[in-house]
Amino acid sequence: MQRQGLRTWLFLAPAGAWFLCMLVLPLIVVFVFAFGERGAAGGYVPAFTFENFANLGARWTAFQNTMVLAPVGTLACLLIAYPLAYFLALRASSRWRTLLLILVIVPFWTSILIRSYAWIYLLGGQGIPSLLNALGLGNPRLINTPFAVLIGIVYGYLPLMVFPIYVALERLDKRLLEASSDLGSPPWRSFLQVTLPLSMPGVATGCMLVFILLMGEFLIPAMLGGGKVFFIGNALVDLFLQSRNWPFGAAVAVALVVVMLVTVAAYLRFTRRWAGGRDDVSLM
Amino acid sequence: MQFVVYTLNGVFSTLNYKSRHILRVMESNLKSATEAKATPIAELRDASKHYGAVVAAQGLNLSIRPGEFLSFLGPSGCGKTTALRMLAGFEAPTSGEILLDGQRVNDVPPHQRPVNMVFQHYALFPHLTVAQNIAYGLRQRRPRPAAAEIARAVDQALETVRLPGFGPRRIWEMSGGQQQRVALARAIVNQPKILLLDEPMAALDKKLRRDMQIELQTLQRSLGITFILVTHDQEEALSMSDRICIMRGGRIVQVGSPRDLYDRPASRYVADFVGKSNFFPGQVATSSGEGTVLAAAGGHRIAGTAPVEIAAGRTASASLRPEQIALHRKADGLPVTVVNRIFLGEHTEYLVRHADLGEFLVLVSRQAEAAEGGFDPGDSAHASWADGAALILADD
Amino acid sequence: MTDRKDFLTREKFMAELYRYKKGSVTRRHFLGVTGLGLATSVFSSAVSGLRSAAYAQGSIGDRVVVASWPNYHDPANFDAFTAETGAAVDLNVFGSNEEMLAKLQAGGSGWDVFVPTNYTITTYVEQDLIEPIDLSKLPNYDPASFDARFADAGTVNGTVYAVPRNWGTTGFVVNTSMLGDLPKPTTWKEFWDMTKAEFTGRTMVHDYQLTTIGNALKYYGYSFNSIDPAELADAEKLLLEVKPHLFAINSDYQPSMRSTDAWMSIAWTGDGLQLKRDMPEIDYVLGKEGGELWSDFFAIPKGAPHRDAAYALLNFLLNPEVNAKEVAFHGYPVADARVNAILPPEMLNDPIRYPAAELLSALEFGAAVTLTDPNRAELMARFKSA
Repeated sequence: MQRQGLRTWLFLAPAGAWFLCMLVLPLIVVFVFAFGERGAAGGYVPAFTFENFANLGARWTAFQNTMVLAPVGTLACLLIAYPLAYFLALRASSRWRTLLLILVIVPFWTSILIRSYAWIYLLGGQGIPSLLNALGLGNPRLINTPFAVLIGIVYGYLPLMVFPIYVALERLDKRLLEASSDLGSPPWRSFLQVTLPLSMPGVATGCMLVFILLMGEFLIPAMLGGGKVFFIGNALVDLFLQSRNWPFGAAVAVALVVVMLVTVAAYLRFTRRWAGGRDDVSLM
Repeated sequence: MQFVVYTLNGVFSTLNYKSRHILRVMESNLKSATEAKATPIAELRDASKHYGAVVAAQGLNLSIRPGEFLSFLGPSGCGKTTALRMLAGFEAPTSGEILLDGQRVNDVPPHQRPVNMVFQHYALFPHLTVAQNIAYGLRQRRPRPAAAEIARAVDQALETVRLPGFGPRRIWEMSGGQQQRVALARAIVNQPKILLLDEPMAALDKKLRRDMQIELQTLQRSLGITFILVTHDQEEALSMSDRICIMRGGRIVQVGSPRDLYDRPASRYVADFVGKSNFFPGQVATSSGEGTVLAAAGGHRIAGTAPVEIAAGRTASASLRPEQIALHRKADGLPVTVVNRIFLGEHTEYLVRHADLGEFLVLVSRQAEAAEGGFDPGDSAHASWADGAALILADD
Repeated sequence: MTDRKDFLTREKFMAELYRYKKGSVTRRHFLGVTGLGLATSVFSSAVSGLRSAAYAQGSIGDRVVVASWPNYHDPANFDAFTAETGAAVDLNVFGSNEEMLAKLQAGGSGWDVFVPTNYTITTYVEQDLIEPIDLSKLPNYDPASFDARFADAGTVNGTVYAVPRNWGTTGFVVNTSMLGDLPKPTTWKEFWDMTKAEFTGRTMVHDYQLTTIGNALKYYGYSFNSIDPAELADAEKLLLEVKPHLFAINSDYQPSMRSTDAWMSIAWTGDGLQLKRDMPEIDYVLGKEGGELWSDFFAIPKGAPHRDAAYALLNFLLNPEVNAKEVAFHGYPVADARVNAILPPEMLNDPIRYPAAELLSALEFGAAVTLTDPNRAELMARFKSA
């Protein structure tokens, strides 16, 4: 009995240690820092003050920008990912499916930084705009616009959205669609009444993944948006690496974590409702 | 499984030959009368389904009569499900025609066909309640019936399948048997012309399956809807169907009432598939209107009738049901040695060995055993059957 | 023929990617901006078989750890050092002085040598993060041959904490072929005014408070280093006005200048030089009002694990012959007269590398206070989020 308990603990130890070191301790450090003061030369000086939290208003615009970017980016990803996942799961022949799935992940094999550079060239004046110009379709400015940021986000986060939806659709019992058809429902109504509701857990998971990561995104706006739009992720990078105001940065990070927790809680509540009270569905 | 088969066989064997014959005549008279009158509610006309080089169904011809309970029976891959799916509209025939109510429906999609299906694993919508599942078909109608009307129909369907008050439940809160009833209710609430059942009881345990079979039969009679059942379970098909369509390798082998198939199998395959049979291979010695005689191993001549005529000289098998063979001590018939004995309650099954004909099964009723006394493995005995009782079937 | 016409060719694209991989994007800030932060390209020339006899006893150890900037050292020089001493060089490259400071403040850096910029040295001294230099161990360092202006910052309260490496300026690059009838801008006032008018959507500024705020302050003639609230308020007003007209706020301006998406950008000497070399129509301009002059130093952090090797490496790199090769490699000017004496005349006459004296005199060294002033940091955040 005791030996078995010990063995369980031994097996759990690496994961537990990892969890403690990589998640819990940094969070505690960030939390403690948030109540400290900035040293004369930057960094952290122990103190107990709420000033950093009182100052959060100074990054309100960044929060606002993020709260626009994250939902819009998530929605854009969803609108493109859903048809793609639908095609992969329900239409593509099994021979092509694997190849297409690999193509969806391939970009992940390179650093997002290098891929963003590729987009800088593609969207820059010598790229797509010059192509459009040659075709007589005008010479629009694409790079360093919100549109470019949206493209970068959709491009960068698409696999994260495609895969949960793909899995949900792939696991969808195709006989349910036959049943729906058998009961008199034309295909488009079957989609709305069966496919869509049953893929909602995948949609929710994808949205959650993309949304949470977008909340902390800083690279794509900096590179494809020309750094002209300031998100909370950029604010954090600047606070920690440029002005080295660690306590204020920690307070902003804590605020961000709180926003994310609220979002995740709302997500769990919604998915539980979709799943009709069954817990295991909400976590996919 | 075995047990159930034998009780059934027992039922048939209790009928004496004469009364069986009379029944058969009556049946065929009745049949021809109904056949002449009613247009088939569904028809397969030379229907084939190919998937590339794979032939799932080949040249199926079948008329299904209104109100009958018909089963497609065969092992997996025999084409029975393909036939059902062609009727439902999930598969379009590669060639041939599908008719429903006299109308060609090859190009009519499933949602426009007046048939409903009970799926093998029920295919209930997990995101909907029991009531919503049952209401699904009614809600697809245009114009959509009033909510109250739908609710009433749903309640009634729940009553019919004996699940009153289960409407608000979630699907996963229901047991397998209950889910089966919900699937049934979801189909019959639409009052389809034909109810298609794709191995609906495959997932139920034996006891539940038996109950459900009886319920389905009762339901079919009370609703008057044509039921088409796909099953690989011969006992299920025999006990429920008015007619059975036996399939093999994508083709229809024989269509007939359970009794037809049991008594007059057209081939060794059917005889083997419907009930249990002993087969003695040999060559046809003589063949005439009077009967057919098979020369079996060791020069034994077995006389019988051939449902399908076989020319003299062809190889064939003599089929004898275990219950057609008697086992006794007096030296009459073939000398055999008892190899094994299985007690089956009302009957005892003996496996016996004959020097030339090999091993075969004999089913002895309790009554006969009481008269003759039991046999033990190793005992010598004699086996005999009524001359001319065997069926001479071509090998296939 | 410039190579901007075939800018998008495959070769060029791959070259750009390779350039990124080598970490040679704009000198300091890019890595910090992109959050790669402590991205490290470890440069290890472990050719232990080639140790020279002079150091055969191995008294300095087998390695020396250097924290410096991307594309700033000739690998051949490090190879030569290893061959001579047996100590392999581990090179860590950084994105900003701020990051270097953060890493040293956090402790346990393991560095033996690092390369701080002039305005940070007093902070390192105050924070007790830096060692006084024992000049007796640097026979190749000749204070007399150094221009005092670029060497002074290494001495704090009479103690030498850092020895000069090289210096540079922060001006702006402008693509003259895009000017049309406009005269070439020569002042920061023109830089900002053109951005708001003719060059709208074509100008880039650094994603870095020191130079962007500093050069906005120059618009009004204020000090590059001002932390006066009223003056900063003026700079903020200008920056907010200019922001909608900017192409980007990004310290990696070479790709956009090369693709001609951007026509003008705040720039450092080395980038100006490289752009001019490849695209002659791009000029590097020092604003007449002034701007930043900077000087980098070699220093040894407190608790350096291979102190002897650190001194050996510094002494090696201060050798004028070696330093001349460094200059040829990185393109920035040096303050050591002994080095300048052996550089080819075309380098010394290059107006970008060695600007005219009157232009230099207007420039200011960045002040330590800008590094830590919270108002400048907040101003930058407001500018970027506006």
